[in-house]
Amino acid sequence: MSPLVYYLFTLAFFVFAYCILTWGLNLQFGEGGILNFAYIAFVAIGAYITGVTSMGSPIAGQAGSGQTYILGWALPFPIPLILGGLAAAAFALLVAVIAFRRLRTDYLAIVLISLSLVLYDVINNFVPLFNGADGLSNVPEPMADVLGLDANSFVPFFTGVALIVALIMWFLMSRITRSPAGRTLRAIRDDPEAAAALGKNVFRHQLTAMLIGSFYAGVGGGLIIEFSGAFNTSAWLPGETFLIFAAAIVGGIGNNKGMILGALIVPVLFTQLPKFLPDVPGHPALILNVAAMAIGVLLIFVLWFRPQGIIPERRRLSKLPMATPTSAATASAISTPPMVGQDTQ
Amino acid sequence: MSEVAVPDSVPVEGEREVTGEVALACHDIHKSFGGVKAVNDATFSVPKGQITALIGPNGAGKTTVVNILSGAMRCDEGQVTMGDRDITKLPSYQRARLGLIRTFQLSRELGGLTVFENLMVAARVQPGESLLNVYFRRGLVARSERDNKERAAAILEQYGLYELRDSWARELSGGQKRLLEISRAVMAEPTLLLLDEPMAGVNPALIERIGEHIIALKNEGVTVLMVEHNLNVVEMICDHVIVLAEGRTLATGRMSDLRANENVVRAYLGGVLDGRVDS
Repeated sequence: MSPLVYYLFTLAFFVFAYCILTWGLNLQFGEGGILNFAYIAFVAIGAYITGVTSMGSPIAGQAGSGQTYILGWALPFPIPLILGGLAAAAFALLVAVIAFRRLRTDYLAIVLISLSLVLYDVINNFVPLFNGADGLSNVPEPMADVLGLDANSFVPFFTGVALIVALIMWFLMSRITRSPAGRTLRAIRDDPEAAAALGKNVFRHQLTAMLIGSFYAGVGGGLIIEFSGAFNTSAWLPGETFLIFAAAIVGGIGNNKGMILGALIVPVLFTQLPKFLPDVPGHPALILNVAAMAIGVLLIFVLWFRPQGIIPERRRLSKLPMATPTSAATASAISTPPMVGQDTQ
Repeated sequence: MSEVAVPDSVPVEGEREVTGEVALACHDIHKSFGGVKAVNDATFSVPKGQITALIGPNGAGKTTVVNILSGAMRCDEGQVTMGDRDITKLPSYQRARLGLIRTFQLSRELGGLTVFENLMVAARVQPGESLLNVYFRRGLVARSERDNKERAAAILEQYGLYELRDSWARELSGGQKRLLEISRAVMAEPTLLLLDEPMAGVNPALIERIGEHIIALKNEGVTVLMVEHNLNVVEMICDHVIVLAEGRTLATGRMSDLRANENVVRAYLGGVLDGRVDS
């Protein structure tokens, strides 16, 4: 396989993985109004659990030998990926049950970002858990043994797997956001007190969004470790959360299609793509630093000129028949506002 | 806001006057914010199937009482009952499920939803809010949505909002937002409706229409408790009036009788016996 094709498959993989991550964040933030500044921590939990359930026991001398980590179950794909998602959701349950009861959005955000920092330090320093700062490496390539894949053929294969997983996740997420459950979540996002006054259990609905969104984070993280074969704390610095937030904001909060565009632009074109470009002689980190600054400029540009994102949240039309003359007359009697903000999807 | 002196010996006549069935009652309600006593021993009953007004000068604690009744706020002391049921410790969503629905002093439209969605989200029966039903009982969800859609369309028609059904709620005018909030509350099938200043900031023609809608709701069996400053409106549409001053129930009765009540005149009306009173 030529390096260019290999490179394009790698970029495609990251598009699919980040789509899953942004859909999860969109459910929490764009639909449910939960400002989860610890999102990357849930991605990391998914990645680590997927890794340690894919790898064999370090004592048995299998892949991963020389590292220290828990579990080491050597489970076949896709079980580790599902376990990664479930572990992230279980962690979200623990966090949400404690924090959601009493904290409002802004204070919850502070608690969550603090939690992300604490978790980062624990995993970074407590080596027996996930091998400390060195992290996990030599994670087995899923199904490579069974299908006889080498390093070259594994990349297109697993990109295809990521595409299938992304399509399944898209289907499941679309069902939620189009359903009455999605509508109720958006009502809670807009005004939790008003939604509660209409009989909506704000805690239960936000908890559901938190769990499902975290499951998406865990699966996205799991795919990344399965693809790259390694994961350590440098991959999930707390600031990485804002990369996914930037993708969601640029793409269009509250719109799953906007998330695809956001995932393509911010984490892939502005972050992954520059990693594959040749260094500028004498300035090895120049391209990556310029790319990081470019993300900031892009974010400012979008928030200034198009705060709703490139593909804004769509208006869900009632599909009711046209107004009767009676209702038209009464509506105009109380002044009709201009119809703005047309549908985008 | 001017201070209103409340006589020490306040004759509370309300409990004697509510002879029929009581839809909602509060007993010895207290609520303080820091050192400020917003509600101080408020006790009254809301008769079932009638329109009751809660009036009083600014700072009397009316909105705090509505917040306590709706469950948006917990009282420090006292008890709230709905029929025979003690609902003091129930959160607002559980009270709403019992049929106690409220509107807000400043319209709280769900701006990121369309007008139609604002009504749909308020429907009481929504199996589609359960993800298990979303994935595995799609027929049930579809049937429920169809029924709710028909009902929402009828309410939008009734409230003159049908033509605006696909507009973002945030784009409506102030009067339209008032109508949307009331129609949304109706969609939630209230047995008891708390309206916090439903006529505030709307034009006289719309005040008349909102008044007609409230009377229509009463005729359908809905009990209404409304905070209102416009005494002409209160006199026209309300069967029963509760006067609150300094967080205490000052008097209850018919508006025509209260105009003759010396304590009410001194504490609230301040000699202005017609129209809107804002102290």
